[in-house]
Amino acid sequence: MNYQIRNLFFIWSMILLSIILMVMPVPDVLDQYRLPWLSMTVIFFSIFNISLIGIISVWFSGLILDIMTGGLMGENALILAVLSYLSYRFRFQIRVYPMWQIMIVVLILLSLGVLITLWIDGISGNMLFNIYDWINIGIAVLIWPIFMSIFEKMQSSFLE
Amino acid sequence: MPLHPQERINRFEKNFSAYRLIIVVIISCVLMYQDYQRNYLSALRVYLSASLYPAQYLINFPRNFIQKLNTNFSEREQLLKENNLLKKDNFELRSKVQQVYKLESENKRLYDLLGSQPQTDNSYIFADIIAVSPIAEKHHIIINKGSRDNVLIGSAVADSNGILGHIIRDQIFGSEVLLMSDREHAIPIEIVRTSLRTIAVGTGNYNELKINTLPTNTDVKKGDILITSGLGGRYPEGFPVGTVKNVINNPGESFLEVSVTPFGNLKTVNEMWVIQPTEGY
Repeated sequence: MNYQIRNLFFIWSMILLSIILMVMPVPDVLDQYRLPWLSMTVIFFSIFNISLIGIISVWFSGLILDIMTGGLMGENALILAVLSYLSYRFRFQIRVYPMWQIMIVVLILLSLGVLITLWIDGISGNMLFNIYDWINIGIAVLIWPIFMSIFEKMQSSFLE
Repeated sequence: MPLHPQERINRFEKNFSAYRLIIVVIISCVLMYQDYQRNYLSALRVYLSASLYPAQYLINFPRNFIQKLNTNFSEREQLLKENNLLKKDNFELRSKVQQVYKLESENKRLYDLLGSQPQTDNSYIFADIIAVSPIAEKHHIIINKGSRDNVLIGSAVADSNGILGHIIRDQIFGSEVLLMSDREHAIPIEIVRTSLRTIAVGTGNYNELKINTLPTNTDVKKGDILITSGLGGRYPEGFPVGTVKNVINNPGESFLEVSVTPFGNLKTVNEMWVIQPTEGY
C-alpha cells in the first residue's frame, strides 16, 4: 500500500511542478518562451510509466492548468486527454524507437496539441497565430532527451 | 501479492480506455461551451478558482515579494526626494480640490433644476495585484479582492492615473480583471474637447488602444484627452482613459486610424481601485 501512496505523491508532484513552471512569473525576456511542460510530462508517463496515471487524472491536471492560466475551462484538459490516449495506444512502438524517432513522435504529438488549441480558439472566435507556440514546441523537442533522462533518473531513485 | 501479467495490463487498460476518453471529451466540450457562454457553470469555475487561489498566491509570491522589497528598501536620498515631490503634488491637488466642492454642489443644483437624476456616488475598494496571466496574448490579471469584499462582476478597475479594465470573473477571495489593452476588450469613450462619443478597442499591446470607427472628417487631434462616456453601463462616467497618440488618415480608406496611449500603467500596475456604484444604483 505504501508504494501506491508514494507513486501518487511522485506523479502529482511532477504534474504540479510542470503546472508551476507553466504559470510562474518570469522576466519579460523569457515570457514568450514557456515550454509545454505539462504536455511533455503527460506524454512521458503515458509512454514509459503507465502505472502512474490515467486519462481522468490527466484531464484534471489540464483543468487545473486552464483555471490557473485563465483560459477556456476544459481546453487544455481535452488536449491533454487526447495526447495521453494517443501516446498510450502507441507506447509499444514508441518505446523501442531510437531517440531521434521518439523526438519526432513527440513533435507530432505536441503539434497536434497546438492545432487543437488553434481549432478551439477559432471556434470560440479569437484565434491568434502565435509563432512562439511553434518555437516552444521546437525547443521542447530539442530538450526532450535531457528531459527524459532526468525523469528516468528521478523514477529510479524515487520509485522501486 | 504480485498480479498476473495479463491482469496488470488489463488494470492499466481500464485507466486509458477509449470510453473514458470519449466521456472526458464530451465533458470538456460541455465545459468549454458553458464557459464560453458564461451562464450555468460559472459557479463551478468560481469555486474551482477560489480553491486554487492559495496556489496562485504562492506561485506569484516571490515576484510580489521582490517588488515590495524594492519599494521598501530604496535609498534614503531617493525617499526624501520622493517625499518632497509628493508634498508638492499634494499641495497642488488640494488647491484643485477646493474648487471641486463648489463644482459638485453646483452640478447637483443644475441637475435638480433640469429635473433629472443626479449622478450616483461611487465606492472605491483598494486592491493589490496577485498574478498576471502567463499567456502573452491574454491581458488578464488577478487581484486580491473578490465577492468576499463585495466586489461585483463588471466593476471598473483603475489606478491613480486612469482606467485599467474591468472585472470579468469572481474568485471569491480574488477576482480576474480584463485589461483594456486585451484584444477582446472595448471601452466606450468620449473625446473631452469635442464630446464626441466612440469606442476604443484593445490591440494586444499594453501601451496602445485603437479607435477605428471614426469617419475621415472627424475632428480629432493628437493630444486629445479621452474619458469614459458611461454608455453601456459598465464603466462609470468621466474617468480618464488616455490621450490620442496619433491620427492616420489613409487615402482611400473611409475611417481614420487613431491610436491611443492609455493613462493607466497597464503593464506594471501593482495597486489599484475597484470602482463600483454604491447601493441603490
